[in-house]
Amino acid sequence: MKSRILILLVVFGSLLLIALPASAHPDEAPEGVSMFMVDAGYASIHDSYLTPITYDGIDLGLAYEASRVCKQGRWQWQLNVGADYNYVENPAKNNDLMKLMGDLAFNMQRRWAVTGRMSLTAGPMTQLRAGIVYNDVNSNNPVTVRAHWNVGVAAGADLHTRLWRKPITLRYQVQLPVAGVFFAPEYDESYYEIYLGNHKNLAHLGWWGNRLDMTHYLGADLHLGKVTLRLGYRTRLEHWNVNHLKVHDVTHSLVLGIGH
Amino acid sequence: MKRILLYFVVLLVLVGCAEKDEFEHDQVGNFEALWTIMDEHYSFFDYKQVDWNEVHSRYRARVSNEMTDRELFDICGTMLKELRDGHTNLIATHDVSRYWVWEQWPVNYDERIIDQHYLNFDYMRSSGIKYQILPDNFGYMYYGSFSSEIGEGNLDLILSYLSTADGLIIDVRDNGGGMLTNVEKLVSRFIEGKTLAGYICHKTGKGHNDLSEPYPYYFEPAKNHIHYLKPVVVLASRGSFSATNNFVSIMKGLDQVTIVGDTTGGGCGLPFTSELPNGWRVRFSSCPIMDAQGRLTEFGVAPDVRVDMDENDRTRDAILDTAIDILTQKTKNQ
Repeated sequence: MKSRILILLVVFGSLLLIALPASAHPDEAPEGVSMFMVDAGYASIHDSYLTPITYDGIDLGLAYEASRVCKQGRWQWQLNVGADYNYVENPAKNNDLMKLMGDLAFNMQRRWAVTGRMSLTAGPMTQLRAGIVYNDVNSNNPVTVRAHWNVGVAAGADLHTRLWRKPITLRYQVQLPVAGVFFAPEYDESYYEIYLGNHKNLAHLGWWGNRLDMTHYLGADLHLGKVTLRLGYRTRLEHWNVNHLKVHDVTHSLVLGIGH
Repeated sequence: MKRILLYFVVLLVLVGCAEKDEFEHDQVGNFEALWTIMDEHYSFFDYKQVDWNEVHSRYRARVSNEMTDRELFDICGTMLKELRDGHTNLIATHDVSRYWVWEQWPVNYDERIIDQHYLNFDYMRSSGIKYQILPDNFGYMYYGSFSSEIGEGNLDLILSYLSTADGLIIDVRDNGGGMLTNVEKLVSRFIEGKTLAGYICHKTGKGHNDLSEPYPYYFEPAKNHIHYLKPVVVLASRGSFSATNNFVSIMKGLDQVTIVGDTTGGGCGLPFTSELPNGWRVRFSSCPIMDAQGRLTEFGVAPDVRVDMDENDRTRDAILDTAIDILTQKTKNQ
Protein backbone atom coordinates (compact mmCIF):
# COMPACT_ATOMS: atom_id res chain seq x y z
CA MET A 1 0.00 0.00 0.00
CA LYS A 2 2.85 2.37 0.91
CA SER A 3 4.51 1.76 -2.44
CA ARG A 4 1.24 2.57 -4.25
CA ILE A 5 0.97 5.88 -2.37
CA LEU A 6 4.61 6.63 -3.17
CA ILE A 7 4.00 5.95 -6.87
CA LEU A 8 0.98 8.25 -6.82
CA LEU A 9 3.03 11.00 -5.17
CA VAL A 10 5.85 10.61 -7.70
CA VAL A 11 3.38 10.76 -10.60
CA PHE A 12 1.64 13.76 -9.11
CA GLY A 13 4.96 15.52 -8.48
CA SER A 14 6.09 14.86 -12.04
CA LEU A 15 2.85 16.29 -13.38
CA LEU A 16 3.37 19.37 -11.19
CA LEU A 17 6.74 20.02 -12.84
CA ILE A 18 5.28 19.53 -16.32
CA ALA A 19 2.41 21.86 -15.54
CA LEU A 20 4.47 24.79 -14.29
CA PRO A 21 4.49 26.90 -17.49
CA ALA A 22 2.79 30.19 -16.89
CA SER A 23 -0.70 31.45 -17.39
CA ALA A 24 -0.89 34.92 -18.97
CA HIS A 25 -3.29 36.29 -16.38
CA PRO A 26 -2.39 34.93 -12.97
CA ASP A 27 -5.37 36.43 -11.16
CA GLU A 28 -8.06 35.32 -13.56
CA ALA A 29 -9.60 31.98 -14.33
CA PRO A 30 -7.99 30.89 -17.61
CA GLU A 31 -9.99 30.47 -20.82
CA GLY A 32 -9.06 26.84 -20.95
CA VAL A 33 -6.98 24.27 -19.13
CA SER A 34 -4.33 21.69 -19.74
CA MET A 35 -4.69 19.34 -16.84
CA PHE A 36 -3.08 16.10 -15.75
CA MET A 37 -5.22 14.09 -13.38
CA VAL A 38 -4.98 11.08 -11.13
CA ASP A 39 -8.15 9.20 -10.17
CA ALA A 40 -8.36 6.84 -7.22
CA GLY A 41 -11.41 5.25 -5.73
CA TYR A 42 -13.86 2.38 -5.74
CA ALA A 43 -14.84 0.08 -8.61
CA SER A 44 -17.59 -2.49 -8.95
CA ILE A 45 -17.52 -4.84 -11.95
CA HIS A 46 -20.17 -7.23 -13.13
CA ASP A 47 -19.46 -9.05 -16.40
CA SER A 48 -21.61 -12.12 -16.89
CA TYR A 49 -19.36 -13.48 -19.66
CA LEU A 50 -16.67 -14.03 -17.03
CA THR A 51 -18.69 -14.66 -13.88
CA PRO A 52 -22.20 -14.18 -12.51
CA ILE A 53 -20.70 -12.65 -9.35
CA THR A 54 -20.14 -8.91 -8.87
CA TYR A 55 -16.57 -8.03 -7.93
CA ASP A 56 -15.46 -4.87 -6.19
CA GLY A 57 -12.18 -3.18 -5.43
CA ILE A 58 -10.09 -0.23 -6.47
CA ASP A 59 -10.18 2.16 -9.39
CA LEU A 60 -7.03 3.95 -10.51
CA GLY A 61 -6.70 6.24 -13.48
CA LEU A 62 -4.47 8.68 -15.25
CA ALA A 63 -5.93 11.30 -17.54
CA TYR A 64 -5.10 14.41 -19.47
CA GLU A 65 -7.65 17.08 -20.28
CA ALA A 66 -7.26 20.02 -22.60
CA SER A 67 -10.02 22.56 -23.11
CA ARG A 68 -10.22 25.94 -24.76
CA VAL A 69 -12.86 28.62 -25.11
CA CYS A 70 -13.24 29.89 -28.65
CA LYS A 71 -15.45 32.00 -30.95
CA GLN A 72 -15.68 34.96 -28.57
CA GLY A 73 -16.55 32.77 -25.64
CA ARG A 74 -19.57 31.15 -27.23
CA TRP A 75 -18.08 27.71 -27.65
CA GLN A 76 -15.53 25.55 -25.91
CA TRP A 77 -13.89 22.31 -26.89
CA GLN A 78 -12.53 19.67 -24.62
CA LEU A 79 -10.26 16.71 -25.23
CA ASN A 80 -9.81 13.91 -22.71
CA VAL A 81 -7.25 11.14 -22.99
CA GLY A 82 -6.80 8.60 -20.26
CA ALA A 83 -6.37 5.10 -19.02
CA ASP A 84 -7.95 3.43 -16.05
CA TYR A 85 -7.22 0.24 -14.19
CA ASN A 86 -9.51 -1.70 -11.88
CA TYR A 87 -8.40 -4.43 -9.54
CA VAL A 88 -11.43 -6.09 -7.98
CA GLU A 89 -12.10 -9.16 -5.84
CA ASN A 90 -15.05 -11.49 -5.50
CA PRO A 91 -17.03 -11.47 -2.22
CA ALA A 92 -15.38 -14.77 -1.20
CA LYS A 93 -11.98 -13.04 -1.56
CA ASN A 94 -10.43 -15.98 -3.40
CA ASN A 95 -10.32 -14.56 -6.92
CA ASP A 96 -9.71 -11.27 -8.65
CA LEU A 97 -10.39 -9.55 -11.94
CA MET A 98 -8.35 -6.92 -13.67
CA LYS A 99 -9.73 -4.37 -16.06
CA LEU A 100 -7.59 -2.05 -18.15
CA MET A 101 -9.20 0.53 -20.41
CA GLY A 102 -8.02 3.34 -22.62
CA ASP A 103 -10.22 6.32 -23.28
CA LEU A 104 -10.30 9.11 -25.87
CA ALA A 105 -13.14 11.64 -25.84
CA PHE A 106 -13.79 14.94 -27.54
CA ASN A 107 -16.65 17.35 -27.13
CA MET A 108 -17.64 20.77 -28.46
CA GLN A 109 -20.01 22.67 -26.20
CA ARG A 110 -22.01 25.85 -26.63
CA ARG A 111 -21.66 28.25 -23.70
CA TRP A 112 -24.47 30.32 -22.26
CA ALA A 113 -23.66 32.93 -19.66
CA VAL A 114 -26.32 32.72 -16.97
CA THR A 115 -24.74 35.42 -14.86
CA GLY A 116 -21.41 37.14 -15.03
CA ARG A 117 -19.91 34.29 -13.03
CA MET A 118 -21.91 31.30 -14.09
CA SER A 119 -22.24 29.64 -17.44
CA LEU A 120 -23.97 26.53 -18.73
CA THR A 121 -22.57 24.40 -21.51
CA ALA A 122 -23.94 21.70 -23.76
CA GLY A 123 -22.95 20.12 -27.02
CA PRO A 124 -22.05 16.98 -28.93
CA MET A 125 -19.38 14.56 -27.82
CA THR A 126 -17.72 11.48 -29.20
CA GLN A 127 -15.85 8.82 -27.29
CA LEU A 128 -13.66 5.85 -28.11
CA ARG A 129 -13.05 3.48 -25.23
CA ALA A 130 -11.41 0.07 -25.39
CA GLY A 131 -9.68 -2.45 -23.17
CA ILE A 132 -9.92 -5.85 -21.57
CA VAL A 133 -11.23 -7.53 -18.45
CA TYR A 134 -9.15 -10.49 -17.34
CA ASN A 135 -9.92 -13.39 -15.01
CA ASP A 136 -6.91 -15.70 -14.87
CA VAL A 137 -8.64 -18.74 -13.35
CA ASN A 138 -11.24 -19.22 -16.06
CA SER A 139 -10.60 -21.95 -18.63
CA ASN A 140 -11.68 -20.85 -22.12
CA ASN A 141 -13.36 -17.62 -21.07
CA PRO A 142 -10.49 -15.91 -19.22
CA VAL A 143 -10.77 -12.56 -20.89
CA THR A 144 -13.28 -10.38 -22.56
CA VAL A 145 -12.63 -7.44 -24.84
CA ARG A 146 -14.44 -4.17 -24.30
CA ALA A 147 -14.56 -1.71 -27.15
CA HIS A 148 -17.06 0.95 -28.06
CA TRP A 149 -17.30 4.12 -30.04
CA ASN A 150 -20.21 6.40 -29.49
CA VAL A 151 -21.62 9.85 -29.91
CA GLY A 152 -23.73 11.72 -27.45
CA VAL A 153 -24.00 14.88 -25.45
CA ALA A 154 -21.78 16.61 -22.97
CA ALA A 155 -23.18 19.26 -20.70
CA GLY A 156 -22.09 21.15 -17.66
CA ALA A 157 -22.12 24.21 -15.51
CA ASP A 158 -19.20 26.45 -14.50
CA LEU A 159 -19.24 28.85 -11.61
CA HIS A 160 -16.33 31.28 -11.31
CA THR A 161 -15.86 32.60 -7.82
CA ARG A 162 -13.10 33.22 -5.30
CA LEU A 163 -11.71 31.27 -2.40
CA TRP A 164 -9.10 32.83 -0.13
CA ARG A 165 -9.01 35.68 -2.68
CA LYS A 166 -7.92 33.26 -5.37
CA PRO A 167 -10.05 32.55 -8.42
CA ILE A 168 -11.74 29.20 -8.31
CA THR A 169 -13.92 27.46 -10.87
CA LEU A 170 -16.56 25.06 -9.64
CA ARG A 171 -17.62 22.72 -12.33
CA TYR A 172 -20.14 19.97 -12.94
CA GLN A 173 -19.99 18.01 -16.16
CA VAL A 174 -21.80 15.01 -17.55
CA GLN A 175 -20.92 12.96 -20.62
CA LEU A 176 -23.85 10.96 -21.86
CA PRO A 177 -23.36 8.83 -24.97
CA VAL A 178 -26.56 8.33 -26.90
CA ALA A 179 -25.71 5.90 -29.67
CA GLY A 180 -22.71 4.07 -30.99
CA VAL A 181 -21.15 0.77 -31.90
CA PHE A 182 -19.72 -1.71 -29.47
CA PHE A 183 -18.15 -5.15 -29.42
CA ALA A 184 -19.63 -8.14 -27.63
CA PRO A 185 -19.28 -11.87 -28.27
CA GLU A 186 -22.37 -14.03 -28.31
CA TYR A 187 -23.67 -15.51 -25.05
CA ASP A 188 -21.13 -18.34 -24.61
CA GLU A 189 -19.03 -17.78 -27.71
CA SER A 190 -15.37 -18.53 -27.16
CA TYR A 191 -12.66 -16.22 -28.38
CA TYR A 192 -11.17 -19.36 -29.95
CA GLU A 193 -14.15 -19.51 -32.30
CA ILE A 194 -13.63 -15.85 -33.13
CA TYR A 195 -9.96 -16.63 -33.78
CA LEU A 196 -11.05 -19.44 -36.11
CA GLY A 197 -12.86 -16.85 -38.18
CA ASN A 198 -16.46 -16.69 -36.99
CA HIS A 199 -17.02 -12.95 -36.78
CA LYS A 200 -20.80 -12.97 -36.96
CA ASN A 201 -22.79 -10.79 -34.60
CA LEU A 202 -19.83 -9.26 -32.79
CA ALA A 203 -20.54 -5.58 -33.52
CA HIS A 204 -23.68 -4.11 -32.02
CA LEU A 205 -25.47 -0.85 -32.42
CA GLY A 206 -25.61 0.70 -28.98
CA TRP A 207 -28.47 2.89 -27.81
CA TRP A 208 -30.22 3.49 -24.52
CA GLY A 209 -32.28 0.35 -24.98
CA ASN A 210 -29.23 -1.91 -24.67
CA ARG A 211 -26.46 0.30 -23.45
CA LEU A 212 -26.09 3.16 -21.01
CA ASP A 213 -22.84 4.94 -20.25
CA MET A 214 -22.48 8.00 -18.10
CA THR A 215 -19.61 9.93 -16.66
CA HIS A 216 -20.25 12.62 -14.09
CA TYR A 217 -17.66 14.97 -12.73
CA LEU A 218 -18.04 17.48 -9.94
CA GLY A 219 -15.04 19.48 -8.81
CA ALA A 220 -13.15 22.65 -8.27
CA ASP A 221 -10.22 24.21 -10.11
CA LEU A 222 -8.22 26.47 -7.85
CA HIS A 223 -6.16 28.93 -9.87
CA LEU A 224 -2.96 29.71 -8.02
CA GLY A 225 -1.14 32.06 -10.33
CA LYS A 226 0.68 29.96 -12.85
CA VAL A 227 -0.74 26.69 -11.63
CA THR A 228 -4.25 25.31 -11.43
CA LEU A 229 -5.01 22.62 -8.88
CA ARG A 230 -8.01 20.39 -9.30
CA LEU A 231 -9.94 18.49 -6.69
CA GLY A 232 -13.01 16.60 -7.77
CA TYR A 233 -15.16 13.54 -7.79
CA ARG A 234 -15.85 11.43 -10.83
CA THR A 235 -18.30 8.59 -11.25
CA ARG A 236 -18.58 6.42 -14.30
CA LEU A 237 -21.23 3.90 -15.29
CA GLU A 238 -20.92 1.36 -18.07
CA HIS A 239 -23.98 -0.79 -18.47
CA TRP A 240 -25.03 -2.97 -21.37
CA ASN A 241 -27.22 -5.92 -22.01
CA VAL A 242 -26.89 -7.75 -25.30
CA ASN A 243 -26.81 -11.41 -26.42
CA HIS A 244 -28.10 -12.28 -22.92
CA LEU A 245 -24.81 -10.98 -21.54
CA LYS A 246 -24.83 -8.26 -18.94
CA VAL A 247 -22.17 -5.77 -17.95
CA HIS A 248 -22.63 -3.31 -15.13
CA ASP A 249 -19.50 -1.45 -14.04
CA VAL A 250 -19.48 1.49 -11.67
CA THR A 251 -16.61 3.58 -10.35
CA HIS A 252 -16.54 6.38 -7.78
CA SER A 253 -13.23 8.22 -7.63
CA LEU A 254 -11.49 11.15 -6.12
CA VAL A 255 -9.78 13.26 -8.76
CA LEU A 256 -6.58 15.17 -8.15
CA GLY A 257 -5.23 17.30 -10.95
CA ILE A 258 -2.62 19.83 -11.77
CA GLY A 259 -2.25 22.00 -14.82
CA HIS A 260 -2.45 25.48 -16.11
CA MET B 1 -30.19 25.59 -8.49
CA LYS B 2 -32.37 23.19 -6.49
CA ARG B 3 -33.43 21.48 -9.70
CA ILE B 4 -29.84 21.01 -10.74
CA LEU B 5 -28.97 19.53 -7.38
CA LEU B 6 -31.99 17.22 -7.54
CA TYR B 7 -30.99 16.11 -11.04
CA PHE B 8 -27.48 15.42 -9.84
CA VAL B 9 -28.68 13.38 -6.86
CA VAL B 10 -31.02 11.29 -9.06
CA LEU B 11 -28.25 10.58 -11.54
CA LEU B 12 -25.85 9.63 -8.77
CA VAL B 13 -28.35 7.15 -7.38
CA LEU B 14 -28.82 5.72 -10.88
CA VAL B 15 -25.10 5.42 -11.45
CA GLY B 16 -24.12 4.38 -7.98
CA CYS B 17 -26.15 1.21 -7.77
CA ALA B 18 -23.73 -1.68 -8.10
CA GLU B 19 -25.16 -4.86 -9.58
CA LYS B 20 -26.72 -7.13 -6.98
CA ASP B 21 -25.89 -10.82 -7.17
CA GLU B 22 -28.80 -13.10 -7.85
CA PHE B 23 -28.16 -15.75 -5.22
CA GLU B 24 -27.93 -15.86 -1.46
CA HIS B 25 -24.54 -16.62 0.03
CA ASP B 26 -25.80 -19.56 2.09
CA GLN B 27 -25.68 -23.29 1.26
CA VAL B 28 -29.04 -23.34 -0.52
CA GLY B 29 -28.10 -20.22 -2.46
CA ASN B 30 -24.83 -21.79 -3.58
CA PHE B 31 -26.61 -24.97 -4.66
CA GLU B 32 -29.15 -22.96 -6.62
CA ALA B 33 -26.36 -20.90 -8.20
CA LEU B 34 -24.58 -24.07 -9.35
CA TRP B 35 -27.73 -25.63 -10.74
CA THR B 36 -28.67 -22.40 -12.55
CA ILE B 37 -25.21 -21.84 -14.02
CA MET B 38 -25.30 -25.34 -15.47
CA ASP B 39 -28.93 -24.93 -16.58
CA GLU B 40 -28.10 -21.77 -18.51
CA HIS B 41 -24.66 -22.62 -19.88
CA TYR B 42 -24.16 -26.39 -20.22
CA SER B 43 -24.52 -27.49 -23.83
CA PHE B 44 -25.14 -31.27 -23.83
CA PHE B 45 -28.38 -31.75 -21.86
CA ASP B 46 -30.37 -32.98 -24.84
CA TYR B 47 -27.50 -34.91 -26.42
CA LYS B 48 -27.06 -36.82 -23.15
CA GLN B 49 -30.79 -36.93 -22.44
CA VAL B 50 -30.41 -35.47 -18.95
CA ASP B 51 -33.56 -34.02 -17.39
CA TRP B 52 -31.94 -31.22 -15.42
CA ASN B 53 -35.17 -30.17 -13.70
CA GLU B 54 -35.64 -33.68 -12.40
CA VAL B 55 -32.02 -33.63 -11.20
CA HIS B 56 -32.77 -30.38 -9.35
CA SER B 57 -35.74 -31.77 -7.50
CA ARG B 58 -33.82 -34.89 -6.48
CA TYR B 59 -30.73 -33.09 -5.18
CA ARG B 60 -32.37 -29.93 -3.81
CA ALA B 61 -34.24 -32.08 -1.30
CA ARG B 62 -30.88 -33.09 0.19
CA VAL B 63 -29.57 -29.54 0.69
CA SER B 64 -30.07 -27.41 3.78
CA ASN B 65 -28.40 -24.33 5.18
CA GLU B 66 -27.28 -26.30 8.22
CA MET B 67 -24.99 -28.64 6.29
CA THR B 68 -21.20 -28.23 6.21
CA ASP B 69 -19.24 -27.10 3.16
CA ARG B 70 -17.91 -30.61 2.63
CA GLU B 71 -21.42 -32.08 2.74
CA LEU B 72 -22.65 -29.52 0.25
CA PHE B 73 -19.63 -30.15 -1.98
CA ASP B 74 -20.29 -33.88 -2.02
CA ILE B 75 -23.92 -33.39 -3.03
CA CYS B 76 -23.04 -30.85 -5.71
CA GLY B 77 -20.20 -33.00 -7.05
CA THR B 78 -22.46 -36.03 -7.25
CA MET B 79 -25.11 -33.97 -9.03
CA LEU B 80 -22.57 -32.90 -11.66
CA LYS B 81 -21.62 -36.54 -12.29
CA GLU B 82 -25.13 -37.02 -13.67
CA LEU B 83 -23.81 -35.22 -16.76
CA ARG B 84 -21.15 -37.89 -17.43
CA ASP B 85 -18.74 -35.20 -18.53
CA GLY B 86 -14.98 -35.20 -17.96
CA HIS B 87 -14.89 -31.45 -18.53
CA THR B 88 -17.26 -30.76 -15.66
CA ASN B 89 -15.64 -30.11 -12.31
CA LEU B 90 -16.55 -28.36 -9.12
CA ILE B 91 -13.40 -26.78 -7.71
CA ALA B 92 -13.18 -25.92 -4.02
CA THR B 93 -10.18 -25.32 -1.81
CA HIS B 94 -10.38 -28.84 -0.36
CA ASP B 95 -11.29 -30.92 -3.42
CA VAL B 96 -12.11 -31.12 -7.14
CA SER B 97 -15.15 -33.16 -8.15
CA ARG B 98 -14.69 -35.06 -11.40
CA TYR B 99 -16.09 -37.56 -13.81
CA TRP B 100 -13.00 -38.91 -15.47
CA VAL B 101 -13.99 -41.75 -17.72
CA TRP B 102 -10.40 -42.86 -18.19
CA GLU B 103 -10.22 -43.80 -14.51
CA GLN B 104 -12.73 -46.57 -15.24
CA TRP B 105 -11.12 -48.04 -18.36
CA PRO B 106 -7.86 -49.86 -19.13
CA VAL B 107 -4.92 -47.45 -19.10
CA ASN B 108 -3.45 -48.98 -22.26
CA TYR B 109 -0.23 -47.06 -21.87
CA ASP B 110 2.97 -47.70 -19.94
CA GLU B 111 5.78 -45.26 -20.52
CA ARG B 112 8.34 -47.51 -18.86
CA ILE B 113 7.72 -50.40 -21.31
CA ILE B 114 8.32 -48.10 -24.28
CA ASP B 115 11.36 -46.40 -22.78
CA GLN B 116 12.99 -49.67 -21.81
CA HIS B 117 11.96 -52.15 -24.49
CA TYR B 118 11.51 -49.96 -27.59
CA LEU B 119 13.68 -46.91 -27.09
CA ASN B 120 16.35 -48.47 -24.88
CA PHE B 121 16.22 -45.22 -22.87
CA ASP B 122 17.68 -43.48 -25.89
CA TYR B 123 15.42 -40.67 -27.08
CA MET B 124 15.30 -36.92 -27.57
CA ARG B 125 12.80 -34.48 -26.12
CA SER B 126 11.70 -31.11 -27.45
CA SER B 127 8.56 -28.98 -26.95
CA GLY B 128 7.14 -31.68 -24.70
CA ILE B 129 7.61 -34.27 -27.47
CA LYS B 130 9.71 -37.37 -26.92
CA TYR B 131 11.01 -38.75 -30.24
CA GLN B 132 13.29 -41.31 -31.78
CA ILE B 133 13.58 -43.63 -34.79
CA LEU B 134 12.75 -47.21 -33.87
CA PRO B 135 14.90 -50.15 -35.10
CA ASP B 136 12.34 -50.91 -37.84
CA ASN B 137 13.03 -47.42 -39.25
CA PHE B 138 9.72 -45.99 -38.12
CA GLY B 139 9.65 -42.70 -36.31
CA TYR B 140 8.10 -42.50 -32.87
CA MET B 141 6.77 -39.33 -31.19
CA TYR B 142 5.15 -39.25 -27.78
CA TYR B 143 3.25 -36.08 -26.94
CA GLY B 144 1.97 -36.25 -23.36
CA SER B 145 0.06 -32.98 -23.08
CA PHE B 146 -1.34 -30.44 -25.50
CA SER B 147 -0.63 -27.90 -22.77
CA SER B 148 3.08 -28.20 -23.67
CA GLU B 149 3.61 -25.38 -26.13
CA ILE B 150 4.90 -26.62 -29.47
CA GLY B 151 7.50 -24.37 -31.03
CA GLU B 152 7.38 -24.33 -34.84
CA GLY B 153 11.19 -24.41 -34.97
CA ASN B 154 11.31 -27.32 -32.53
CA LEU B 155 8.75 -29.20 -34.61
CA ASP B 156 10.86 -28.55 -37.73
CA LEU B 157 13.87 -30.12 -36.03
CA ILE B 158 11.85 -33.12 -34.83
CA LEU B 159 10.27 -33.81 -38.23
CA SER B 160 13.55 -33.16 -40.00
CA TYR B 161 15.19 -35.84 -37.85
CA LEU B 162 12.29 -38.24 -38.44
CA SER B 163 12.04 -37.50 -42.16
CA THR B 164 14.23 -40.48 -43.07
CA ALA B 165 11.83 -42.86 -41.33
CA ASP B 166 9.48 -44.88 -43.57
CA GLY B 167 6.49 -44.14 -41.38
CA LEU B 168 5.64 -42.29 -38.20
CA ILE B 169 3.87 -43.26 -34.99
CA ILE B 170 2.33 -40.39 -33.03
CA ASP B 171 1.52 -41.57 -29.54
CA VAL B 172 -1.06 -39.44 -27.71
CA ARG B 173 -2.19 -42.04 -25.22
CA ASP B 174 -2.77 -40.70 -21.72
CA ASN B 175 -2.68 -37.16 -23.12
CA GLY B 176 -5.42 -35.35 -21.19
CA GLY B 177 -5.60 -32.41 -23.60
CA GLY B 178 -4.58 -28.78 -23.46
CA MET B 179 -4.56 -25.99 -26.00
CA LEU B 180 -6.40 -26.37 -29.29
CA THR B 181 -3.85 -24.08 -30.94
CA ASN B 182 -1.28 -26.85 -30.44
CA VAL B 183 -3.64 -29.25 -32.23
CA GLU B 184 -3.60 -26.94 -35.23
CA LYS B 185 0.19 -26.61 -35.13
CA LEU B 186 0.64 -30.37 -35.14
CA VAL B 187 -2.04 -31.26 -37.69
CA SER B 188 -0.78 -28.57 -40.09
CA ARG B 189 2.40 -30.66 -40.60
CA PHE B 190 0.44 -33.63 -41.95
CA ILE B 191 -1.86 -32.00 -44.49
CA GLU B 192 -1.21 -30.91 -48.08
CA GLY B 193 -4.04 -28.45 -48.57
CA LYS B 194 -6.75 -26.57 -46.76
CA THR B 195 -8.52 -29.21 -44.68
CA LEU B 196 -11.91 -29.16 -42.99
CA ALA B 197 -11.07 -29.86 -39.37
CA GLY B 198 -14.61 -29.80 -38.01
CA TYR B 199 -17.35 -27.53 -36.80
CA ILE B 200 -17.70 -25.44 -33.69
CA CYS B 201 -20.78 -23.85 -32.16
CA HIS B 202 -21.74 -22.12 -28.94
CA LYS B 203 -24.73 -21.33 -26.80
CA THR B 204 -26.56 -18.21 -27.88
CA GLY B 205 -28.94 -18.02 -24.93
CA LYS B 206 -30.04 -19.64 -21.71
CA GLY B 207 -32.27 -22.33 -23.26
CA HIS B 208 -30.87 -25.86 -23.47
CA ASN B 209 -31.15 -25.83 -27.27
CA ASP B 210 -30.04 -22.25 -27.88
CA LEU B 211 -27.05 -23.18 -30.01
CA SER B 212 -25.49 -21.31 -32.91
CA GLU B 213 -25.19 -22.73 -36.41
CA PRO B 214 -22.12 -25.01 -36.52
CA TYR B 215 -19.25 -23.00 -37.93
CA PRO B 216 -16.87 -24.96 -40.20
CA TYR B 217 -13.22 -24.40 -39.43
CA TYR B 218 -10.27 -25.31 -41.58
CA PHE B 219 -6.58 -25.91 -41.04
CA GLU B 220 -3.97 -24.85 -43.58
CA PRO B 221 -0.62 -26.60 -44.16
CA ALA B 222 2.14 -24.90 -42.18
CA LYS B 223 3.83 -22.52 -44.59
CA ASN B 224 7.61 -22.70 -44.91
CA HIS B 225 7.85 -25.54 -42.42
CA ILE B 226 8.66 -29.22 -42.68
CA HIS B 227 5.79 -31.61 -43.39
CA TYR B 228 5.53 -35.38 -43.01
CA LEU B 229 3.31 -37.01 -45.63
CA LYS B 230 4.34 -40.68 -45.37
CA PRO B 231 2.10 -43.23 -43.57
CA VAL B 232 1.22 -42.24 -40.00
CA VAL B 233 -0.31 -44.21 -37.15
CA VAL B 234 -1.82 -42.36 -34.18
CA LEU B 235 -1.99 -44.28 -30.90
CA ALA B 236 -4.96 -43.43 -28.71
CA SER B 237 -6.41 -44.52 -25.40
CA ARG B 238 -9.28 -43.59 -23.10
CA GLY B 239 -6.87 -41.15 -21.52
CA SER B 240 -6.74 -39.21 -24.81
CA PHE B 241 -9.15 -36.51 -23.77
CA SER B 242 -10.37 -33.05 -24.78
CA ALA B 243 -7.87 -31.39 -27.18
CA THR B 244 -6.33 -34.83 -27.78
CA ASN B 245 -9.77 -36.19 -28.67
CA ASN B 246 -10.03 -33.29 -31.12
CA PHE B 247 -6.58 -34.08 -32.56
CA VAL B 248 -7.47 -37.75 -33.07
CA SER B 249 -10.81 -36.88 -34.70
CA ILE B 250 -9.05 -34.62 -37.23
CA MET B 251 -6.15 -36.99 -37.93
CA LYS B 252 -8.62 -39.84 -38.46
CA GLY B 253 -9.97 -38.00 -41.49
CA LEU B 254 -6.57 -37.89 -43.24
CA ASP B 255 -5.92 -40.55 -45.89
CA GLN B 256 -2.44 -41.54 -44.74
CA VAL B 257 -3.41 -41.86 -41.05
CA THR B 258 -4.59 -44.93 -39.11
CA ILE B 259 -5.84 -44.70 -35.52
CA VAL B 260 -4.82 -47.64 -33.33
CA GLY B 261 -5.61 -48.49 -29.71
CA ASP B 262 -8.72 -47.73 -27.70
CA THR B 263 -11.58 -45.26 -28.14
CA THR B 264 -10.52 -41.82 -26.96
CA GLY B 265 -11.90 -40.35 -23.75
CA GLY B 266 -14.08 -37.81 -25.54
CA GLY B 267 -14.63 -34.32 -24.21
CA CYS B 268 -15.63 -32.36 -27.29
CA GLY B 269 -17.11 -29.39 -25.44
CA LEU B 270 -14.79 -26.44 -25.03
CA PRO B 271 -14.97 -25.82 -21.28
CA PHE B 272 -15.89 -22.49 -19.71
CA THR B 273 -15.58 -21.61 -16.04
CA SER B 274 -18.00 -19.86 -13.74
CA GLU B 275 -18.26 -19.45 -9.98
CA LEU B 276 -20.57 -19.68 -7.01
CA PRO B 277 -21.14 -16.99 -4.38
CA ASN B 278 -18.94 -18.91 -1.90
CA GLY B 279 -15.96 -18.77 -4.29
CA TRP B 280 -16.12 -22.35 -5.58
CA ARG B 281 -15.56 -22.53 -9.29
CA VAL B 282 -17.35 -24.75 -11.75
CA ARG B 283 -15.98 -25.82 -15.11
CA PHE B 284 -18.34 -27.21 -17.71
CA SER B 285 -18.64 -28.03 -21.41
CA SER B 286 -19.85 -24.97 -23.21
CA CYS B 287 -18.96 -24.89 -26.91
CA PRO B 288 -19.49 -28.18 -28.75
CA ILE B 289 -16.85 -29.06 -31.33
CA MET B 290 -17.83 -31.58 -34.01
CA ASP B 291 -15.69 -33.63 -36.35
CA ALA B 292 -15.52 -33.04 -40.11
CA GLN B 293 -18.67 -35.13 -40.57
CA GLY B 294 -20.55 -32.90 -38.12
CA ARG B 295 -20.69 -35.55 -35.39
CA LEU B 296 -20.19 -34.86 -31.70
CA THR B 297 -17.32 -36.86 -30.22
CA GLU B 298 -18.24 -36.24 -26.59
CA PHE B 299 -18.01 -39.96 -25.83
CA GLY B 300 -14.84 -40.50 -27.84
CA VAL B 301 -13.42 -41.30 -31.26
CA ALA B 302 -13.31 -44.98 -32.12
CA PRO B 303 -9.97 -46.30 -33.44
CA ASP B 304 -9.58 -47.81 -36.91
CA VAL B 305 -7.88 -50.79 -35.29
CA ARG B 306 -8.97 -51.71 -31.77
CA VAL B 307 -6.21 -53.16 -29.60
CA ASP B 308 -5.65 -53.47 -25.84
CA MET B 309 -2.34 -53.91 -24.12
CA ASP B 310 -1.72 -57.18 -22.34
CA GLU B 311 -1.48 -56.16 -18.70
CA ASN B 312 0.45 -59.31 -17.86
CA ASP B 313 3.19 -58.70 -20.40
CA ARG B 314 5.54 -56.08 -18.97
CA THR B 315 7.88 -56.18 -21.98
CA ARG B 316 5.60 -55.55 -24.95
CA ASP B 317 3.19 -52.80 -25.92
CA ALA B 318 0.56 -54.53 -28.08
CA ILE B 319 -0.77 -51.22 -29.38
CA LEU B 320 2.67 -50.03 -30.48
CA ASP B 321 3.41 -53.47 -31.98
CA THR B 322 0.19 -53.24 -33.99
CA ALA B 323 1.21 -49.80 -35.24
CA ILE B 324 4.58 -51.15 -36.36
CA ASP B 325 2.84 -54.03 -38.17
CA ILE B 326 0.48 -51.62 -39.94
CA LEU B 327 3.32 -49.36 -41.06
CA THR B 328 5.34 -52.38 -42.20
CA GLN B 329 2.40 -53.55 -44.28
CA LYS B 330 1.78 -50.09 -45.71
CA THR B 331 5.39 -49.50 -46.68
CA LYS B 332 5.56 -52.94 -48.30
CA ASN B 333 2.53 -52.10 -50.41
CA GLN B 334 3.97 -48.81 -51.61
